[in-house]
Amino acid sequence: MIEIRVEVPLAGSDLRVEAQLPTAVTAVMGPSGAGKTSLLEAIAGLRPRARGRIACDGAVFLDTGQGVRVAPEDRRVGYVPQDAGLFPHLTALGNVQFGARGGADRVETAIETLGLRPLLSRHPRSLSGGEKQRVALARALATSPRVLLLDEPLGALDVELKERVLPYLVRIRDEWKVPMLYVTHNVGEALALAGHVLLLRGRRVEAQGRPLDLLSSPALSLEAEAGIENLFRGRILGHDAAGGVSRVELEGGLPLTVPLAPAHPPGAQVTVAIRAEDVLVSSGPVKGLSARNVYEARVEALERTGVDVTLRCALPNAPSPWLARVTPAAVEALGLQVGQTAWLAVKSHSVRLI
Amino acid sequence: MLRGDEAEVVLFTLEVAALATLLILPPGLAAALALARYRGPGQGAIETVLSLPLILPPTAVGLVLLEVLSRNAPLGSWLAGRGVEIVFTWKAVVLAMAVMSFPLLVRSARTAFEEVDSRLVGLARTLGCGPAAAFFRVTLPLAWRGVLAGTVLAFARALGEFGATVMVAGNIPGRTRTLALAIFHDNQVGRDDRAAVLAGITALLAFAALWTTELLTRRLARRAEE
Repeated sequence: MIEIRVEVPLAGSDLRVEAQLPTAVTAVMGPSGAGKTSLLEAIAGLRPRARGRIACDGAVFLDTGQGVRVAPEDRRVGYVPQDAGLFPHLTALGNVQFGARGGADRVETAIETLGLRPLLSRHPRSLSGGEKQRVALARALATSPRVLLLDEPLGALDVELKERVLPYLVRIRDEWKVPMLYVTHNVGEALALAGHVLLLRGRRVEAQGRPLDLLSSPALSLEAEAGIENLFRGRILGHDAAGGVSRVELEGGLPLTVPLAPAHPPGAQVTVAIRAEDVLVSSGPVKGLSARNVYEARVEALERTGVDVTLRCALPNAPSPWLARVTPAAVEALGLQVGQTAWLAVKSHSVRLI
Repeated sequence: MLRGDEAEVVLFTLEVAALATLLILPPGLAAALALARYRGPGQGAIETVLSLPLILPPTAVGLVLLEVLSRNAPLGSWLAGRGVEIVFTWKAVVLAMAVMSFPLLVRSARTAFEEVDSRLVGLARTLGCGPAAAFFRVTLPLAWRGVLAGTVLAFARALGEFGATVMVAGNIPGRTRTLALAIFHDNQVGRDDRAAVLAGITALLAFAALWTTELLTRRLARRAEE
């Protein structure tokens, strides 16, 4: 259990956070300037003006009421800032060994877990963004931390790199069992990793709880729309190896065909993610299309999101709305209006299981 | 060629200048670090006081030192009571050099420390370093170029120190006469030829110090890039 009741003076308004986090992965979400990074820094001990109480599994980091303020070096937190924060004068190996605690084994395991063997003699300058993040993660892990504080570890990475680093994070979660606070803007990442979400807005806690419970709340669905993701719970019905697909039943009974996912046995609970721009919209019934998943829906709202338009569509058997992102030109060409019936189509390959 | 007493002057100058530079390193780096990190009331005043020896005439600085160390002043009489003689000894030469070189070291090191990303220092703390360990393992290795440049500059300044030295240490042959003082003396007694030789030697020493540093910096920087 991580106990936080803290006030951090910041320019403008102070950050106030009161939260009890389970000792697993907590996704810290919220818009820029909400105070996510400041919260991590306060936990790490890098905000000398923070007041209140922070305790992690019984170890008190801060209790200003009792005059307790543990120095950062005695808190044993593994902090990975957004830009990795590697020491430029040390090699990758030097960085990983920098704060190592618990002997050579620990360093070796961290290097192994994050696949750093080929990079060890290189300096940060010559590492790519994803490699830097992995070195920084290994450096944090090698200190045998009580808690990992990760500030958008995938934020600076493009989609391809993200998909290469994410499995390492899942491994850390499952094999090292270190509690994590994980700052992210991406609902898909939060769902893939976190069992708990702490949503900050305007330097206050706006909501907290299980990710899928929060998803239906307007608080988190705003975040979801910023990442323009459709996220649904479902369960695997079966696999069709010859057809290269698996069948999923979404909550509410909607059938969905996804790329073959033999790792999930029939009956397994899964979360599916569909990017809103991968949802095709048609004003008439769809025939002769390769897309496996076609649904009749009702347009409930048209919202301008940046240059595009996000359609909020209600499906008869879906508990939450589907989001589809189209161009204003498409809205005009199809004559899309609120209340109108539209057909949504999704290719199997646009569906990700997380 | 150098006569025996001239070689002695060269050696003596190198020794006291090196000693003065070593002496100011710990307080100089501490002051530089404090100036680089401290933001608050009195900051401007502290900076000005630390830079005073740069802008005051060296003889004025020498006069202040002389007054502070005289037997009539509290510090001077306290030291005399313990049998420590400073004025008009080699210790006074070291002191004059140290005071005059101090601001050069501080200015150079301070700029170098300011360029070190303070978040890296914070990260070193989260990785188990106390403030001192964070300084020696992160701040100093990242700022070493500026620190080295400041040290050499301070050493070169000490080699050429004249005004403060002559006030507080005098110009005593075999005791407090450095290269700069010997040049002045030779000129005063009409031996401009010997003064010119000594001036050449001084220039050579300062050049060698700066050039060695340049070479060292480049070699170390290249090694760091490999």
